[in-house]
Amino acid sequence: MTYLTLAATQGAFKTVTVSERTAQAFADGSWILALVYILAAVGALGALVTVVGLVLIYAERKIAAHFQCRLGPMRVGWHGILQTVADAIKLLLKEDVIPERADKAMHLLAPFLSMMATVMILGVLPYSPILQIVDLNIGVLYVTAISGFGVMGILLGGWSSNNKWSMVGAMRAGAQIISYEISATLALLVVVLFSGSMSLAEIVQSQDAGWWVWRAHGVGLVAFIIFVIAVTAEINRTPFDIPEGESELAAGFHTEYSGLRFSFFFLAEFINMFVVSAMAITLFLGGWMPFHIGTGGAFNGAMDLIPPVLWFFGKTSAVVFLIMWFRWTFPRLRVDQLMYLEWKVLLPIGFVNLFAAAVVVLYNLYPFPIIVP
Amino acid sequence: MIGPAIYTVMFWVVAASTVLFALAVVNTRKLLRAAIALMAALSTTAGFYVMLDAQFLAGVQVLVYVGGIVVLIVFAIMLTRSGELLEDHPTPERRVVGAAISIMFLILSAAAVWVSPFAEYSTGKTPPNDALSIGKALLDPGPGGYVAPFEVISLLLLAAMIGGIVIARKTPPPNQPFTSGGDLPGETDVYTPLSQRDPKRGGPVS
Repeated sequence: MTYLTLAATQGAFKTVTVSERTAQAFADGSWILALVYILAAVGALGALVTVVGLVLIYAERKIAAHFQCRLGPMRVGWHGILQTVADAIKLLLKEDVIPERADKAMHLLAPFLSMMATVMILGVLPYSPILQIVDLNIGVLYVTAISGFGVMGILLGGWSSNNKWSMVGAMRAGAQIISYEISATLALLVVVLFSGSMSLAEIVQSQDAGWWVWRAHGVGLVAFIIFVIAVTAEINRTPFDIPEGESELAAGFHTEYSGLRFSFFFLAEFINMFVVSAMAITLFLGGWMPFHIGTGGAFNGAMDLIPPVLWFFGKTSAVVFLIMWFRWTFPRLRVDQLMYLEWKVLLPIGFVNLFAAAVVVLYNLYPFPIIVP
Repeated sequence: MIGPAIYTVMFWVVAASTVLFALAVVNTRKLLRAAIALMAALSTTAGFYVMLDAQFLAGVQVLVYVGGIVVLIVFAIMLTRSGELLEDHPTPERRVVGAAISIMFLILSAAAVWVSPFAEYSTGKTPPNDALSIGKALLDPGPGGYVAPFEVISLLLLAAMIGGIVIARKTPPPNQPFTSGGDLPGETDVYTPLSQRDPKRGGPVS
């Protein structure tokens, strides 16, 4: 593992995805190995969804509790770590209620669409140089495109419930996600400009000499801030949680859902938080790259000893914590404030920032000194 | 042997599901279900592009059609509350016109496929499919470049966007540029000179 990390950070290590291994095994004629790779990938995705869901729900409750000087779940297991498991079992055993006048097929399809959009993105994230299921050469475009299915899931769930709160919640969610997607995409294009690639693995590799958040000369930092704000809105987290504002809309688009189908929506929401944090760190904070100061030295050597997977999950957890922190810091926005923020504040800044990034890249304007190892 | 076999099976699965979803679009009586079937048909079309090694086009197909067009259609259905609108008995004129248009479109599509030489694929080589060459082709002013259509489409989209904003915004009554945007009663309906207005309600003095 030491060899891997050292080689990876020196840019000498080639990333190998699971799909490449499968193709190789297939070409070599060893069917069983190819099948094992495919099953391992599917199993790993399922396990990741479960574990991330359990951990994030527990973390959310604990962090919320400690922000409010409470203890949070304490009874089930050591410091309540089995609380989420107990809740999950309870949810699975509950009756699955479908409203009588609902559009049944659509009502059943909606949570599935939401979940599908989330899981399809998990497959392209680079967790480490050797741990990525498939690396698409249109990675960034793929992630943006797939999130459209998530919007459809929410709209469909709200409509098919035949309930005015669900409906209003779904409309708000749809309008919000579509609006903020523009800002998120503009921020993401800045990184595409600098790295010259849309493949997520190559974007991570391009940050070998420094993370884009500070190596991109200011525009990277602006893009990172815009991206974090926009994705917080895209996943309907506070302060942008008006689609399910409980004081006005009961529970928004999933008011009429119960049991397993409710847990699908709920889980998709938490996994989405993981996905957007992972995207933020992959694009701006170096993905699985270790933290370096300058070049060489004992500090960088020590950082290299930490495996890339730990770097990835550590950085992702930091951004997830930031998003959870927002929830206990900012009050919920009104609908008009939400639209004002996107169309009159974030969007102009995003356009100017993208233009500035294009100028910097085109003319090699580097006002700040950069260290190239 | 096994590679092409899997490829063929995949093609037929994608093709059959596209046709089935397309049939569902025109056969269902519920508008929202038609929109969802349309979404599925457009997504499986992206499957064809992936199989033709045109991943960028597939990504754009999903981005534009699923994330844009279909969401817009669903919004329109939700806003008009016409989800229960069932068209059981269309008038004979509509049937005839609909059938004529469908048949004409079918003939046009079939003719287009029939006369296309498919020069790129008959030679066995695929055109470059990465974002770099697509971007260069889009902004290439020379022959074989697409800069003119690209700019025309940009202009069209800009015009549509401005048109949308003009239609959507609340128009102040004539000769009165600054109002509260129609929030006060009687303001947008009848123009009342400022001197004749009720200072409390904003509308005409009653």
